[in-house]
Amino acid sequence: MTILEVLAAIEESAIAHAISKTDHLVGASLQILHVLGLILFLGSLVLIALRASGRVLADQSLRDVICDTSRAMWLGLALVVLSGMLMFVATPRLYFFNTAFGWKMGLMVFAGIAQAVLFRKLAREPATSSAFARAAIVLSVASWFAVAMAGRMIGFI
Amino acid sequence: MSELTTTLMAWAQRVEGSTVGTAIAESNLAYPIIEGVHLIGLAISTGLLFAIDLRLMGVFLRRIPLERLLRDLRPFVLWGFAATSLSGGLLFWSSAERMLSSPAFAFKLLFLLLAGINACVFEFVLAPRHLGKPQLASLPRALRYAGFASLTLWTLTIAFGRLIPYLPAWS
Repeated sequence: MTILEVLAAIEESAIAHAISKTDHLVGASLQILHVLGLILFLGSLVLIALRASGRVLADQSLRDVICDTSRAMWLGLALVVLSGMLMFVATPRLYFFNTAFGWKMGLMVFAGIAQAVLFRKLAREPATSSAFARAAIVLSVASWFAVAMAGRMIGFI
Repeated sequence: MSELTTTLMAWAQRVEGSTVGTAIAESNLAYPIIEGVHLIGLAISTGLLFAIDLRLMGVFLRRIPLERLLRDLRPFVLWGFAATSLSGGLLFWSSAERMLSSPAFAFKLLFLLLAGINACVFEFVLAPRHLGKPQLASLPRALRYAGFASLTLWTLTIAFGRLIPYLPAWS
């Protein structure tokens, strides 16, 4: 099965039809959920990054801030991934051959790895004043911002 | 078409046809990059603001004193808003006529205005009245309502902003 056949099969699936053949406001609602999820996810990540770099809430335990914030972060991520997958399923060929979408997916894998490294480091070493931890925080947040930027370009490139 | 509408549309055409407006609209990269900055600024400003709103509602970061959260996050929220407003202004500059013809844009501005009023009421009326006192187990009802109002109004602002390309123009 070639990639084109796979994409065509996705596009012909019942779920794809359910999204693409209904009112265009269904697609618009998915876009809204995607943005709101992204804001929840990135906002939580920025809060953790600001705390980890000691710029805010310096007298609060980093572990507490991560613990309280991670629920919002995961909820945001779940919204982004779910709405994003539904949008992709509705028009897979449109996205698959889009340069900005390719960049977005590549950057997303990179951002995911950067964040996994960062969170493992933070969980292991609560004292995060080391240059490595700071660099990891900046890299993690910057790469998610790059994902958002590439995502916003999909409709234009 | 009323006289006010005609005047507004003529102004929008002049704004859009200006050197800056045309430069942004005609560049392949300028518009999407400014859109990206708008989104990232929004994620910083409203993302952190949502954290404050949820803290006010008592569902999030309950261990952190409210005054502390407000004082520490405020500069970052404001920097995020500066980026969002500046990029939003540039986007408007390049598509003023389309924005003024869009009902979604009008609703976005309305909810933005209401969110601004809510923020002013919180900053200048509610915060001076309720903050600085010993922390109660649960915050006063007025603060919780202000948090809920902020969360709702910003969500509506964002939703209508995203709807701009999807809703037809005023008929």
